[in-house]
Amino acid sequence: MRIRSRLILNFCIAAIISVAIASHADETCNSPYMSGLIKGQEDFVHVWTLGVPGMGDGWDKLVTIDANPSSKTYGKVIHKISVGGRGEAHHMGFTDDRKYLWAGGLDDSKIYVFDVGSDPSHPKLVKTIDDLSAKTGYAGPHTFYALPGRMLIGDLSNAADKGGVTGMTVYNNKGDFIAKYDMPATTIKQVKGDGYGYDIAVNPAKNALLTSSFTGWNNYMRDLGELMKDSEAMKHFGNSMVMWNLKTMQPEQILAVPGAPLEIRWALAEGQNWAITATALTSQLWLVSRDPQGLWQAKDVARIGDPAKIPLPVDISITADAKGLWVNTFMDGTTHYFDLNDPQHPKETYSKHTGSQVNMVSQSWDGRRVYITSSLLSKWDKKGKDNEQFLRAFHWDGHELTPAFEIDFTKEQLGRPHHMKFTANPPRVASLTGAFVR
Amino acid sequence: MRRVCAPAGVVAGVLSLSGMASVAGAAVDPSKATAPRMEFVPPPPGSYKLQNIQSVADAALLDSSGQPVRLSALTTGKITLLTFFYTYCADPLGCPFAHTTLANLRDRVRGDGKLAGRVRFVSVSLDPTHDTPAAIAIYGKEFTIDPKFDWRFVTARRVPELLPVLHDFGQDVSVEMDENGRATRTLHHMLKMFLIDARGEVREIYSLSFLQPQVMFNDIKTLALETG
Repeated sequence: MRIRSRLILNFCIAAIISVAIASHADETCNSPYMSGLIKGQEDFVHVWTLGVPGMGDGWDKLVTIDANPSSKTYGKVIHKISVGGRGEAHHMGFTDDRKYLWAGGLDDSKIYVFDVGSDPSHPKLVKTIDDLSAKTGYAGPHTFYALPGRMLIGDLSNAADKGGVTGMTVYNNKGDFIAKYDMPATTIKQVKGDGYGYDIAVNPAKNALLTSSFTGWNNYMRDLGELMKDSEAMKHFGNSMVMWNLKTMQPEQILAVPGAPLEIRWALAEGQNWAITATALTSQLWLVSRDPQGLWQAKDVARIGDPAKIPLPVDISITADAKGLWVNTFMDGTTHYFDLNDPQHPKETYSKHTGSQVNMVSQSWDGRRVYITSSLLSKWDKKGKDNEQFLRAFHWDGHELTPAFEIDFTKEQLGRPHHMKFTANPPRVASLTGAFVR
Repeated sequence: MRRVCAPAGVVAGVLSLSGMASVAGAAVDPSKATAPRMEFVPPPPGSYKLQNIQSVADAALLDSSGQPVRLSALTTGKITLLTFFYTYCADPLGCPFAHTTLANLRDRVRGDGKLAGRVRFVSVSLDPTHDTPAAIAIYGKEFTIDPKFDWRFVTARRVPELLPVLHDFGQDVSVEMDENGRATRTLHHMLKMFLIDARGEVREIYSLSFLQPQVMFNDIKTLALETG
């Protein structure tokens, strides 16, 4: 029997003693004001998976894996739902109430809304949003970040020239378009923006919204080998981060961060004044922190592997106390752990070769389990025998990653696994009607 | 943040469940629950535009005297802050916190002559089976001491009449069941407060992290400035 106390916030005592607003990070990379963070054992891992022509039905799909060791189907695929198209499945994010999972396609700009609250073991596709480009001119919905009653989406490209100039889009939780915000290409406080976008992350206590920058459709949908030989195309990567006023949704500072800064994680504990990111092309960790004058400054604080070899750091996952950071480097298939006790001087304390190519990394809130997937983008993944496609789960004891289970996405005819999100079985509850209406 | 509101009587049971979590290896966050932090100077009223998030659908409810009232009558004509609650909620960062925040805002609004008569608060019960008009009248008494300030406490005749309202506002509510499958008096819901303009459009939504009275007050004044 599964222990129903996994959703710690489902219990009043936890609500009383646990942090209410400073949910420090993911599990651990979700919006900080999302409900029901899973602080114990997750039951399911959902994987947004790119379709591969000739593999199974070939469509993008949401794959659900049983992640609870006490289950008879532990480590197995227990559900999959195809969306009837192949649009470069990439990232996804929960709504604020964690009942729905929004998942985007970087190629077709479609957004799929899955109900994961009713029965997380069997997600259901309940809505498809296909008006993002028509409403905004943007393309490539990437990051899905819950705001109260809304979804803030960081886009990668635009529908006109398919370059990197883009913006952010807001929908309400019903799927209705609300607003769009261009990434700044102007100069603010002597720093010029490039108009590019990628990740978004909010610190509500500081009214701060931080964004990063990557590249447009022309590059991310192009063969990586060809792209890297094209010096002109390689100029079209983001080199900036932007600090926005969350309330006004106006950019207040542009920070020069060369080399395509990607995922952003805030340290949300009281007294912390920083966020961290990794640059894909220059292979560095960058700290964004507030100086004594109240201005935000970006500074490279550590190298990730050997930047000369372009290991291509892709995803990062911060620990719940913001004292450690997992970093995956795609090219050399390595998972790194950095000690962040001194965020100005991160130290790599562990690394392990975890696959021929590795991309996303997600750790559990308690830090005891780490999940890794292999696929970066359909046109950027490696070829031949190095094109391993997997989800690998590990135990982490603070010293060593040891394998827990593995799903071979090629063998199972699923596709290329990318972003992961956790869910847990709901506690023993009834609807208002079921409980109070006889 | 999902708030779980329970009467004091169930805390012992909850404690034992929390113990189960420990057995399961769950890592309980040791941080103390805290009110929302505000480490910034909020932008001045009128210097920004609040988004148009959604329209409010109409519904039939009951006021605290038992008289029928249309929800649309409570969400148009004035700037409205609407929240959901139930009278026996005991979570210190749940319904009581929401109403304390609203009381703080009420005092700020009363102190601003330009807002006189232009702001209304609405508290909608999540449990019509317990929260009868008489029950919400008693509960609301301490918050409605100023007859000049428009603060309405409302409930529904029956649960099925409340459900469309909850659905429209995206308020998912469930009831904790005991080992024998009986409903406890613990409701699960995510604390949200809705700022609605005089035309009945939701213009801001505050979950716990955003219940910052100064920001909320500025938002009210921003809406007031839209119509002069």
